[in-house]
Amino acid sequence: MSRFASRRWVLGAVTLGLVLVALLAPVPLAGPAPQERHISVNARTFEFDPSIVRVNRGDTVLIKLQAEDVVHGLYVDGYDVSTQAEPGRPGELRFVADRAGAFHIRCAVPCGNLHPFMIGKLVVGPNLTWLRAVAASVIAAVGALAALWRP
Amino acid sequence: MRWAISEVPFVKRLLLGRWLHWSITAVTLAVFVVVILTGIFGTPAGNHNFGIVYVWLVWWALLKIVLIPFLGRFWCSVCPIPAPGEWLQRRAMIQPRPGGRLYTLGRKWPKFLRNIWAQNFGFLAVALFSALILTSPLVTGLVLLAFILVSLVTSLVFERRTFCRYLCPIGGFVGVYSQMAPVAVRIKDPAVCAGHKEKTCYIGSDAGYGCPYFNVPSKMVDNTYCSMCGECLRTCPKDNIAFYVRQPGADLLHTKGRRLDEAFNGLMMLGAAFVYSVVLIGPYGWLKATARAVGTPGWFVYAGVLLIFNAVAVPGLFWLCVRLGQALSRKPAARTGAGGARTPGRRDSLFADYAAILVPLGLAIWVAFTLSFTLINLSYAWPALSDPFGWGWNLFGTAQMAWTPYVSGLIPYLQVPLLLAGLVGAIALALRTARQHGQPAWSAVPVSLFCLAAVVGLLTLYLA
Amino acid sequence: MKRNLFAVMTVLLVLIGLPAGLFGYQAWRTGQLAWAAGVRVVDIVARSPEQGGFAPDHLVLKAGEPVRLRISSADVVHGLNIPGLGVDVKEILPGRVVEVDIKPEKPGRYAFACTRWCSIDHWRMRGVIEVKADAAHPAAQETQTAPLYQKLGVNLDAVWPMDGPRPAQTPSAERAAAASGGLPESLLDPSQRVATAPADAFRQLRADPAHSQLGDGEIWDQVAWAWLHDVKPETLSMAGSLYSRDCAACHGPQGKGDGPAGRNLPGMQKMDATGDGASPPAGPADFTDPARMLNASDVVLQGKILRGGMGTRMPEFGSLYTDDELWAMVQYIRTFLFQPAGK
Repeated sequence: MSRFASRRWVLGAVTLGLVLVALLAPVPLAGPAPQERHISVNARTFEFDPSIVRVNRGDTVLIKLQAEDVVHGLYVDGYDVSTQAEPGRPGELRFVADRAGAFHIRCAVPCGNLHPFMIGKLVVGPNLTWLRAVAASVIAAVGALAALWRP
Repeated sequence: MRWAISEVPFVKRLLLGRWLHWSITAVTLAVFVVVILTGIFGTPAGNHNFGIVYVWLVWWALLKIVLIPFLGRFWCSVCPIPAPGEWLQRRAMIQPRPGGRLYTLGRKWPKFLRNIWAQNFGFLAVALFSALILTSPLVTGLVLLAFILVSLVTSLVFERRTFCRYLCPIGGFVGVYSQMAPVAVRIKDPAVCAGHKEKTCYIGSDAGYGCPYFNVPSKMVDNTYCSMCGECLRTCPKDNIAFYVRQPGADLLHTKGRRLDEAFNGLMMLGAAFVYSVVLIGPYGWLKATARAVGTPGWFVYAGVLLIFNAVAVPGLFWLCVRLGQALSRKPAARTGAGGARTPGRRDSLFADYAAILVPLGLAIWVAFTLSFTLINLSYAWPALSDPFGWGWNLFGTAQMAWTPYVSGLIPYLQVPLLLAGLVGAIALALRTARQHGQPAWSAVPVSLFCLAAVVGLLTLYLA
Repeated sequence: MKRNLFAVMTVLLVLIGLPAGLFGYQAWRTGQLAWAAGVRVVDIVARSPEQGGFAPDHLVLKAGEPVRLRISSADVVHGLNIPGLGVDVKEILPGRVVEVDIKPEKPGRYAFACTRWCSIDHWRMRGVIEVKADAAHPAAQETQTAPLYQKLGVNLDAVWPMDGPRPAQTPSAERAAAASGGLPESLLDPSQRVATAPADAFRQLRADPAHSQLGDGEIWDQVAWAWLHDVKPETLSMAGSLYSRDCAACHGPQGKGDGPAGRNLPGMQKMDATGDGASPPAGPADFTDPARMLNASDVVLQGKILRGGMGTRMPEFGSLYTDDELWAMVQYIRTFLFQPAGK
């Protein structure tokens, strides 16, 4: 095998390994102590306000959904919980944020034509999912360049 | 590295016969009829309208996640839009007319349009209206009806599949991305073609029609304009063409002499993925409403920004990266005499050649984007099947099934590996492009960083 | 050629047969009910009021005729309530069809309304079903009773006084339960105190020498007792769900007048927001505001709910609520300021 070829395989394997580490290695992060969070989310066509809800891992999250104009719902990706609300009748959602990462929140009740695109985010803990993905991307890019570099 | 799957007798019979393509087309045509009818006459509520659900959720997901990555441009060979026009043009559906004769006015498509620029701008035009199209059954129905009528007219005025090759906005990016597919139709032995002057693969014969996409098989080196319809297999008297299973993305390994229109398509599709991710998947309700309010002053501003971003900013930034790469390598691109493999005599265009790295990246990004809404909303397919018009039917008992997002927590775990794979593929291709142009590897670094920035940007939109 | 023929025939079948089949199925499906079972089918499409509301919003039916209402929504979630006919569809999802069978027996006019908040103009989404009399179902001899406020000559649109006595703490009927002896009949009997505002009742009790040793707070508790001693929990619960469905969007779930649908309502110019306490503040009424509520008598509250109007976008509920429901609502509104007994 030529020097280039063997270098390519070695560097490729190292890159793959580092990418896997970045994506999967458990990170012992002692986050803040879990607390109860009361968050009021307003829903209007076609957005949530606040559009990004941030909590810490382990928090007990109580979301009070208040609709401003029509019947809306709130569904959380990954946690698979939902509630609905309309003006004057708020909805409540209660769950423990035991999974870290970024989760889309979506409207769960048809509220108009752009309803499938009524999307917000719940970020639990330091956004490790995003950090890992970005780290993995940088490692992959550098690794690919290094492995396949031919001056 | 390729294997001729069409040499397997059973497969050969299937592919050479016309029933396979025709029967699938009959099914897609039937679905298309229902789509148009439900779009125009059915409920305006998009979630429960067969037209919206089966075009923008089911068909789109199939196209992006299965058909293009694995079967290249195969969808085009069974697409219902050109089908009636082609049947009328051929005055045949199964048994071909003698000599592969076409009954059209025979007008020639203008030379300046014999590229995919019309398709590029067609896609941008559709993108401008997409917030409205995707959420209005009536508009979806009318747009698709318009497509099939235009296709019908072009089939009878011009020749072959002019609509598919030069006009269809979908065909533009399907063709460019199909270079990634692990299948290809190619000639077996160039020497055989060199000795065969009649070129029935292009002209047609009693056995079949000339290539509907204006390809000359002996010159075909990529999948971009081949829908794998099999006509050339039927008309070749030397049995010198085959369906191959091959290394994915092999078309991109020849990095020289790439076309500018295809390069622009790759750039524009990247920009479009970003725009859709911000407007549709992002949290800005006012932006979505503006994007849908076609004709309002706000929408014109949005349209202007979208056009400038896709047609000027993204290609401009990429061009800067190519230039920066050349500056870093302190060596201009080698001006070889006879261009690349595909367009002899064409001036070497480093910009277009580098833009090809956006094919693996762009395909990965579009699959990731498609995943972000498909699995969540796929459950709309079941009620839409039982009650396509939203009239209270229950044909298959599934009309009352509630919206159920599927494996919503899994989506990021699918998107991230895809984006990483696309990124690595793009960078590998960039380094190869530099090498094949006689440039040092530094020349590929800025465009590689461009790809990294695109991936990080998208990850931030989805995950942060 | 035979192969071509077969292929062409199949495609023609698809192109012609499919539309024929689809529309034919729909015609058969609706016709089957009408012709076979003799049931009249009426399609009602619900849209946001800006897009037309209910279509149709005026139905003419025959008394005794079975009718199947097929209600669908074209945009957002709606509801349909026809109180006089016992129809209460709580949810019409867009793209779905809800079927309700009715057989109106008594001729008359029946109002119907949307019950899910579907737009800023949701309160306007109403309709009327006219049931025509015939030989078998003669029209009842309707004695049109004037609303109570008209009979008593009360001007609903008069500007309320905003001054007067205020309690220092929430008056509680519970606290007054023990020492409630001695309250005059004119205050204990709802039909006699109907034109008396709680502030007037306070003044009346305060002036009575029999209560001279009671503090102001205790007198207020007696007022609360007068108003709420006979209210049943089921009444409050029923009124509470009506309030939550029809009123909370503007008046707020806690009655503070801070409901999301009540913001930026046009027509608020009548009330000026001087904030000096001399005139009511702009916006939907705050039922927890003593200045406003203690000067309102029951007949005024009932009249406003019944008639609406006043140029403030307050809808009328006289056509939708029964008398019992109207008075129950008045009592429920009092509980925003007075604590009921047994709490």
